[in-house]
Amino acid sequence: MKKLLILILSLIPLAVNASNDVTQLEGSFKVGPAIILIFILSLFVLVGIIFRAKDTTDYYAAGRGISRVGSGMAIASNWMSAASFLGMAALMYGTGYHGLSYVVGWTGGYVLLLILMAGQIRRYGKYTAADFIGDRYYSKTLRTIGAIIAIIISIAYAVGQFGGIGLMFKWVMGIEYYLAVIIGGSVVLAYTLISGMLGVTKNMQIQYVIIISSFMIPLFLLTFKFDYFWLLPQIGYGSAVQDIVEGIQISEKSGLMNSLGHHFAIVPSPEYAMPWDPSSGQTFFQWIAIAFSLMIGTAGLPHVIQRFYVVPKARDARWSVVWGLFFICLLYWSAPVYSALGTILSANPEVGKLSPDAIVVYTAQLGDINPLIVGLLAAGGVSAAFSTTSGLLVAGSSAFAHDLYVKVINPLARPKTQMKVARLGTLLMAIIITIIAMVDLALIAQLVAIAFSMAGCTIFPLFLLGIWWSGSNRAGAKAGLIVGGIVTLVSLTYLIGARAGWVLPFNDFITYYLGAWYFAWIGAPLAIAANIIVSKLTPETPLEIRKFLIEKVHS
Amino acid sequence: MEKEEYRISFFKPTTLQARTNRNLIVKLFISWAVAIFGFQILLRVIEKPVPEEALITFSAGWENIESGNATYVDYQVIAQSMIQVMGKITIKPDDYDALKDGTGWALSKVYPEEDLPDLQKDVQHLNQLKEQITSLRDKEYLEAKEIIISKAAPALGIGEGTLLAQLLPIGLDDQLQLLAEENRRKIPEIMSLYLTHNRSVLTDTVFLGFPFHYFYTAVFLLVFFIGLCWIYCYRTDKLHAKLNFLEKID
Repeated sequence: MKKLLILILSLIPLAVNASNDVTQLEGSFKVGPAIILIFILSLFVLVGIIFRAKDTTDYYAAGRGISRVGSGMAIASNWMSAASFLGMAALMYGTGYHGLSYVVGWTGGYVLLLILMAGQIRRYGKYTAADFIGDRYYSKTLRTIGAIIAIIISIAYAVGQFGGIGLMFKWVMGIEYYLAVIIGGSVVLAYTLISGMLGVTKNMQIQYVIIISSFMIPLFLLTFKFDYFWLLPQIGYGSAVQDIVEGIQISEKSGLMNSLGHHFAIVPSPEYAMPWDPSSGQTFFQWIAIAFSLMIGTAGLPHVIQRFYVVPKARDARWSVVWGLFFICLLYWSAPVYSALGTILSANPEVGKLSPDAIVVYTAQLGDINPLIVGLLAAGGVSAAFSTTSGLLVAGSSAFAHDLYVKVINPLARPKTQMKVARLGTLLMAIIITIIAMVDLALIAQLVAIAFSMAGCTIFPLFLLGIWWSGSNRAGAKAGLIVGGIVTLVSLTYLIGARAGWVLPFNDFITYYLGAWYFAWIGAPLAIAANIIVSKLTPETPLEIRKFLIEKVHS
Repeated sequence: MEKEEYRISFFKPTTLQARTNRNLIVKLFISWAVAIFGFQILLRVIEKPVPEEALITFSAGWENIESGNATYVDYQVIAQSMIQVMGKITIKPDDYDALKDGTGWALSKVYPEEDLPDLQKDVQHLNQLKEQITSLRDKEYLEAKEIIISKAAPALGIGEGTLLAQLLPIGLDDQLQLLAEENRRKIPEIMSLYLTHNRSVLTDTVFLGFPFHYFYTAVFLLVFFIGLCWIYCYRTDKLHAKLNFLEKID
């Protein structure tokens, strides 16, 4: 770890490269923010070392000794990724009301998760999603497929996080994006390898406090400075939204300027708040499809589901969702504030095209907030990406070591070997994620949304039917997975095709109705239907599984 | 328990606890679905495409220009409307360039012909400076902008201290008198795209400073979700207490 920190420090002088960018918002090395970032990252590593995993139980499920509020914080921290911290404001900055479909999708999904799954998953008592699938559907093949899906979903999700880490490292250090991704990715990898989930869980609580504080402090300053109700910025920014709709004339907020010397003014821009505005290029259907896909994806994400194993009882699992959602909402109520103020502060075309994914930081910068506080904000963004990535790497490596290696390849593996395999899995995943993240595919939140749709089409139906209908059997599960998998493959093929410039058959139709960010709207119902139909036509679920469901999960 | 009874279905609960739990879930699920999707559907059903004032004045002015009956005021209003659209952050680069072309052309129609070459030089100078400066607060750059504002804003009927005046210098093309045929065709569509919005009583009502629909979706729904989760946990705890249901720690 020491060597890694030395490497980072040694790269800093190379990265000092003054910018000629006219807006001066990015490109140069920023000393204060860099110190804050390094301090926070060192703190994470230190906490990881102190609370490091001692055995496999610790590694996978943190010894099941975490309180409800603590677990809620860990859920929130685990959840509040770069997509929440950076990506959500980015979406609203670019597409206005359409971006709120992500806010609703990512919070509303917790209601489904709670009422349909949380307690039952905890009572089922399995460590990983693949464990549940393999056990409930009494199939080694399904366990293996479940593990592979969990790994793919974790990778897809983590690509967006590495993108966020790269953006923030780039902003702080003024280095190239790809180098920033490598450095940031190396640090998060080192930390996860050292700590495992026990460290991760403890760290997540610390990370939550850092994330939420760093996100909130600039909001109070910005709303105070620009004359909005600053005591509760999450309500006070309503006037800013209305101001954007109606426009702000220079005389209305005379004397208020952004850091580039532009007046705090904007032409009437109803497109920012009006639903599915034609100029956003987004439609009502897409709004609904995104919200729905994200919701069911939430209830099917392996690293989210896995959080319920770290509480002692099902009751704790339920209440930890309430706490988790509350902590998450604190951030989700706040993200639109950045978007609204960022819209006004960057309204002058001279500001130029800003990277939407960094709009949170740019807003603070344009608002002329103290650079150290802006640095803290950037560190919060990195922290958000770190906390989620750690959880994803643990979930992915658990699937690799526990579900693939131990349960399929080498059932007699000793705990020490399991740990080694888990760490090898983490390393492999990190390398793959880093490589994909270097190709700037889409906005962070959109990349993450792909993972949600994948989960919604594959894992969600298996959990939903597996818990609530004993009639769902192995053949039905396989049929559902095949259907969900086909929808996923079709959508992703068209996404890659669009990026590569291919024109595939029914291109417009498929890219619109099976968009990569929301294909679960149809994929999940089809997978559920296939599961039900095939289950009805094939031999019933074995008695012991049905008995287990009645006696352990629903009693 | 008989073998046949070892079956579980959400829709066919067999115990009091399961039935109560099912009923609670159904109620919460319906509330959840109506609150999210019901509201958005309502929003969709009652909305109407409403043009901004700038589109109405632009359309009238553009129609007069196309029919050959344009006055100075028509050129002024279309230029003002186009500058307003160029000030929107959502505008696409191609659309921005087309409007820039149109604004310069409209200005050339109302600006004294003999002074036009000088103005054109000022615009070119500003654009050159923009490539060289390292700060938007550069004194020479700011002065160059002010010169253009003082010359062009009055011709377009724009007050010098206004936001439109600030947007004017950067919204002018080097070739003031020319309007590409392609841009001429595109401009009305661009204006219509950026200046028409889906509105209804739900979007036009202001609540706690917000447009109501925005408050509902961005603030209220999240509170509602937490409320639903809290109700579920609370009611489940009560049910378990009533049935003396004890959970094991494993």
